[in-house]
Amino acid sequence: MKLANLRALLGSRFLDLLTIGVVAAFLFPYVFMVSSAFKTRLDTFAYPPIFWGFTPTLEHFKNIFSDMNILFYMKNSTIIAVCSTLLTILISIPATYSFARFRFHYKEGVAYGFLFLQMVPGISIVFALFFIAGSLNLSDTHIFLIVVYLLWNVPYAIWMMRGFVEGIPVELEESAMVDGASRFKAFRLITLPLMAGGIAATAILIFIGVWNEFSVAFFLTSTEARTMPTTIAFFMTHSGIKWGPMFATATIGTLPVVIFALLVRRYFISALTFGAVKG
Amino acid sequence: MTRIRQPRRRRPPWLVPALLIIPAFLVVFALAAYSAVWLLQLSMVKLTFGDPFRTAEWVGLENYNWLLFNEFTTFWASLRVTAVYVVGTLVPELVIGFLIALLLNRKMRGNSVFTAALIIPMVLMPSMVGMVGRLYFSPYGLINYFIESLTGIRHNWYGADLALWAAVLVDIWEWTPFFILILLAGLQTLPVEPFEAARVDGASRLQSFVHLTLPLMLPLIMTTLILRLMDVLRLFDVIFVMFGGGPGTSTTTLPLYIYRTTLIQRDVGRGSAASVMLIIIIVSLTVILIKLRDRIRYEA
Repeated sequence: MKLANLRALLGSRFLDLLTIGVVAAFLFPYVFMVSSAFKTRLDTFAYPPIFWGFTPTLEHFKNIFSDMNILFYMKNSTIIAVCSTLLTILISIPATYSFARFRFHYKEGVAYGFLFLQMVPGISIVFALFFIAGSLNLSDTHIFLIVVYLLWNVPYAIWMMRGFVEGIPVELEESAMVDGASRFKAFRLITLPLMAGGIAATAILIFIGVWNEFSVAFFLTSTEARTMPTTIAFFMTHSGIKWGPMFATATIGTLPVVIFALLVRRYFISALTFGAVKG
Repeated sequence: MTRIRQPRRRRPPWLVPALLIIPAFLVVFALAAYSAVWLLQLSMVKLTFGDPFRTAEWVGLENYNWLLFNEFTTFWASLRVTAVYVVGTLVPELVIGFLIALLLNRKMRGNSVFTAALIIPMVLMPSMVGMVGRLYFSPYGLINYFIESLTGIRHNWYGADLALWAAVLVDIWEWTPFFILILLAGLQTLPVEPFEAARVDGASRLQSFVHLTLPLMLPLIMTTLILRLMDVLRLFDVIFVMFGGGPGTSTTTLPLYIYRTTLIQRDVGRGSAASVMLIIIIVSLTVILIKLRDRIRYEA
């Protein structure tokens, strides 16, 4: 073997290892978090930290289901995330279609208007929303959070899905209309099935966003509508932080999201850039 | 049937697209307008958090005046913390992210597994990430263990001089993958011809990187930075859970400043005025940067 070839081979082996190392480094804090959920309190605080070989315990998982009633907060999170996602998709599909298929005055202006409203930080309007909820007698209710999240979700869905619709050739619809189908029928029978994958991906990404949302949920709920992410307050007690239950909750709370995210990883780059960049 | 159906009545061409948009428009703009009216109103009153709204006392622009010009205002200090946090996160994220994107931009088995793994930090619950970060950065935590085994020193990440940097490191862990994935997608769609031409002309790898890759990637880099900037400026959860803005005011970025003014000092008026300022800052920075990016893209 020529020396140059050997060097190239060694070089690429080195880069392969480097790649694996880098990816492992990004994954490690998460893996360590999940493993800590199975450690006893003593093992969690061991120094140097224990990476493997500890005796796993399910004590913390039992604890959060029996003592902390974590199922109640999971139920709240699920209700709010599912309802808000479905409403978002329902409202956004017609608007998306309109932006993608019609030409009208101020179209891009209106589209950017949606985008700018999406940029409003939750923390800067959450206290105004707090007063609004009070004045409408909707404090600490599911419905208030479900509706409030639409402010961010609907613009996001429109920008995400617009790219998917624009990627479907308009000629398909036109030929159906030439054959006598109404515009709605052409949309329902041709465009809608073709954009189903895009809709599903958008819905999953919105679900993840709502499921994880903290700033708004934390200040607008107290007992009845409290969501998973805001339960962190329960782990900070007078006798210190309950790390074990916290790790167990974090593990359970992140599990569905990680699975969902991996299911739609094909769409992830469009998702991160509001459809501006295709993966 | 080959005839296109005629509309029964003559409809103005804008009617259908307008009707389709109206539900989304009404919901979003009504929510925004309702919140905006309340927010502006709250920013012009004196009101203690917890008291009913009818006890509010109209003060006009006094809250803004106080925030911006009063000698005791901490608004500018908080803006400085925010600036440090923004630069401290975005610059390393861009540089490291770009380097790793270049590393991943090779034909290699398992690339899809790697990109899948990189998604995970971005989708974890930020509040839980903050909590876990708090433990990892504790005096006898994971981070200090690695630093001590490398340098023999343990740092006090909970102290005023390092707390912000602990939060910065957490953000770098969470969001460098954002740069990696987007820039990798960009690298994979670069045209091949200019690079071949450069190689024929005898350009070195470094030369073609500086004169071809960078300029071609610049608009995408700008887009990525703008998207991240919007997010970093409004980031609340991770810092709140890790440090709550403290110790002192060392981690009080603008979102934390809003929270502390409204809930800890219970000054709804000034908190709301700061909220309005944050919205103005985010929107104006974004508009300026989008204009700048479009000019770069136009020239390229």
